[in-house]
Amino acid sequence: MTTISIEALKQRLALMEDAEVIVRETADGLRLTFIYLGSLIDQERLNESILEPLVRSFQNSVEKSLTTAKISSLSNLEQAFQYLMKGSVLIHDSSSGRWNAIMLPNSLGRSIETSETETIMFGPKDSFSELLEQNILLIRRRLPLTALKTERFSVGSLTQTTVVLMYIDGLINPEFVEVAKSKLSSIDFDMFLDSSHVAAFMEDHYHSIFPQYLQTDRPDSCAYALGIGKLVILVNNTPFALIAPITLFHLFQSPEDYINRWLVASFLRPLRYLSFLLSITLIPLYVALTTHHYQMLPLQILYVIIESRSKLPLSPFWEALIILVTLEIIKEASLRMPTKTSQNLGVIGGIVIGQAAVAAGFASKVLIVLAGISAISTFLVPNYLVTKSSLLLQFMFLILASYLGVPGILLGLVGMLAHLNGLTSLNQPYLAPVSPFYWRDWVDLFVRGPLHAMRNRPEALRPLNKYRMNRRSK
Amino acid sequence: MKCIFRTTIVLLSTSMIMLVCGCDLLPENNMIEEITPIIFWSVQGGGEEDGKITISTLVPPLIKEKKRVLSLKVSLLNEGNKGFNLTYYNELKAGQIRLLFVDEAYAKRGLTRLINTVLTDPNISQRLYLVITKGNFNEFLAKHLGETDNIDYYLYRMFKHYEKKKQGEITVVNLHQFMKMLYSQVSDPQLPVFRAEGEQFLYEGTAFFDRDSMVTEIRGKDDQIIQLLYRDRFVRYLVLPDLAVTLGHIRARTRKKLTPDLSSLSIEIDVKGRIDELNSLARIEDNFQYAALTRKIERYLEENVIRLLSQMQKLQIDPLQIGELTAKPFSKPITRATWDRHWSTMKINVKVRLHLEPLTKVK
Repeated sequence: MTTISIEALKQRLALMEDAEVIVRETADGLRLTFIYLGSLIDQERLNESILEPLVRSFQNSVEKSLTTAKISSLSNLEQAFQYLMKGSVLIHDSSSGRWNAIMLPNSLGRSIETSETETIMFGPKDSFSELLEQNILLIRRRLPLTALKTERFSVGSLTQTTVVLMYIDGLINPEFVEVAKSKLSSIDFDMFLDSSHVAAFMEDHYHSIFPQYLQTDRPDSCAYALGIGKLVILVNNTPFALIAPITLFHLFQSPEDYINRWLVASFLRPLRYLSFLLSITLIPLYVALTTHHYQMLPLQILYVIIESRSKLPLSPFWEALIILVTLEIIKEASLRMPTKTSQNLGVIGGIVIGQAAVAAGFASKVLIVLAGISAISTFLVPNYLVTKSSLLLQFMFLILASYLGVPGILLGLVGMLAHLNGLTSLNQPYLAPVSPFYWRDWVDLFVRGPLHAMRNRPEALRPLNKYRMNRRSK
Repeated sequence: MKCIFRTTIVLLSTSMIMLVCGCDLLPENNMIEEITPIIFWSVQGGGEEDGKITISTLVPPLIKEKKRVLSLKVSLLNEGNKGFNLTYYNELKAGQIRLLFVDEAYAKRGLTRLINTVLTDPNISQRLYLVITKGNFNEFLAKHLGETDNIDYYLYRMFKHYEKKKQGEITVVNLHQFMKMLYSQVSDPQLPVFRAEGEQFLYEGTAFFDRDSMVTEIRGKDDQIIQLLYRDRFVRYLVLPDLAVTLGHIRARTRKKLTPDLSSLSIEIDVKGRIDELNSLARIEDNFQYAALTRKIERYLEENVIRLLSQMQKLQIDPLQIGELTAKPFSKPITRATWDRHWSTMKINVKVRLHLEPLTKVK
């Protein structure tokens, strides 16, 4: 272990323009050296809370002069650098030769804003920001419990990202915490700039296109997840928290489900499942029917499709592929373009896809309608990652449909179901409570039952405290 | 080892799913723009010495182009199908056939061969309407060759409309129903009869079959009365010119009962309806005259039902499937010969009860 010296520190901080080394003498004649990175610390607080009291102090040590600040004593050079890079001021007392560190991190960051990825009409509007402490605060405000534990981990050899594992002790199944802790401890990678990077290393099946950790920037979603016996992982410098363990069905649930009337929510939820199914199979079904099974089309629709396809140069598969790829190009462009120009994109996209493609004979009117329905359907799924996954699935089904027709689509669906059945999230089955079967959990699955009916926490999560209601009051 | 096991499982399940789905590894080209899915076949003739039939269809179906009638003289139905392909630029596919028009002369010679050919074709749906035609059907088609004249499609829609909810205006029979009646031990099939006359395609009545051969047909008033004898039917109008009365919105509930020794049949028909039209001097606001008219209609219907059933008895046919009533659980079904013997001598009692709805708008 290397001992700390000013020379060693200066040597390491060479060519760092924001590194400051200042020397001050106290009223008592104590010579103090302050070393810090100007960009990382709060300069104002340094002047007001540390420099001024120390310089005016008649005490003979830093600890005695600063009664309010949390002072950590440093023992070696590596520890000193860790503190320095996290926004601490290193103070060297020349008389005693001791090194101390005081955390003064710069709290510059976004204020609490509305979530842009998971927008809801009613309900709480606040969302996480990049500041970890602020994010913890937002959850703690909702769950003022001493049982709400926060355990810190550090991941990434370069980024040294702080990861906080949150759970309600005494409620959550301890197995989840154990698995999450072991997974977090075993992470070995250099950079973690987003929670999805952490999720990628914690996932049981990283080849799958289905996310096994739910990413959300809504503190209310996190609080609800914690309350029913899940754990939340917060990652520094990203507004997206991870919720685990999840199932496929969680990806179709929106916080608004619990705000809407239960009958309305129960109507909307199956609509989401249906729209997901539509988004992945509608165009493949069109290709299958127009390529292989003309018998299955009702005469009325056959009439429309024959009319629409009679003068097209491309086969249904290529027609669908070109339209889907074009649609994706437009969707991707709309994400990357500045907001002000995206309106132009809408107009150009609308004309190119809607009018010109049909007029030029590249696509049939029926396909344009189906592509529109399919594209809109993808947006009904609340989880953005699933929306993106559905695109790949759609292409897979498209290829199967063009070769094997409807049996191909069925084959794909069976394959997808088999894959989903094999997935796990934090070692928990991904299709629970359907497989394995937990009847009680169905009250909040395909429909959202009334809150009064949700007396128990999900059985599939096996929480230590099963009941959500006080059993004596009933 | 694990990898081999997994691959085996995947391949096995894939092939099983494909087999279960009836998936052909070498599928035929059914690309919608390269084929012409025709809607009907019309079969005529069969009386010639060489036993040849004429098969016709209309192409292109549905799309807005000038139509033409394809007609071929062939010995076998599928010979015609193949012949059509050779005379038309697109491949004609039979998978969307919804109508099969059969000439009266052909129907009188027996339909089994034709029905079996259509029935065994896996591409052809059993929801195929069978129709007996009179007159020159090809000539009728020739008058509907305009771009927007989708006569084939409109005829299909007409049958579909009357089939739905058993409208009771015309007889509609699909292939499945016909096959069921044809292969039943004790029942005989029936089909609608249409006459092609110039541009018109007129509904004439219902043809009755003895096994697979058409033996007789009933028309007009008789056809309407026979509609009442099915289990639950809705008939919009029952026009009785002999009594100068039209009954409307009729719901008939018929109960048929056979005696255990099959010596007599009693039929009770509850007819609910209203008087839609009255072209006589009967004053129905008068209770006695109203009762007399009701009684008169009941008598009239009873007589006509008995007359129609007697006709069926004479011909030893059973299109109303009365023979099905002999079927009992845990007992052997009776043979055709036994049923014919009993049916031809069976005593028939008919009781019609007319429940006329009050004319609420009339005071």
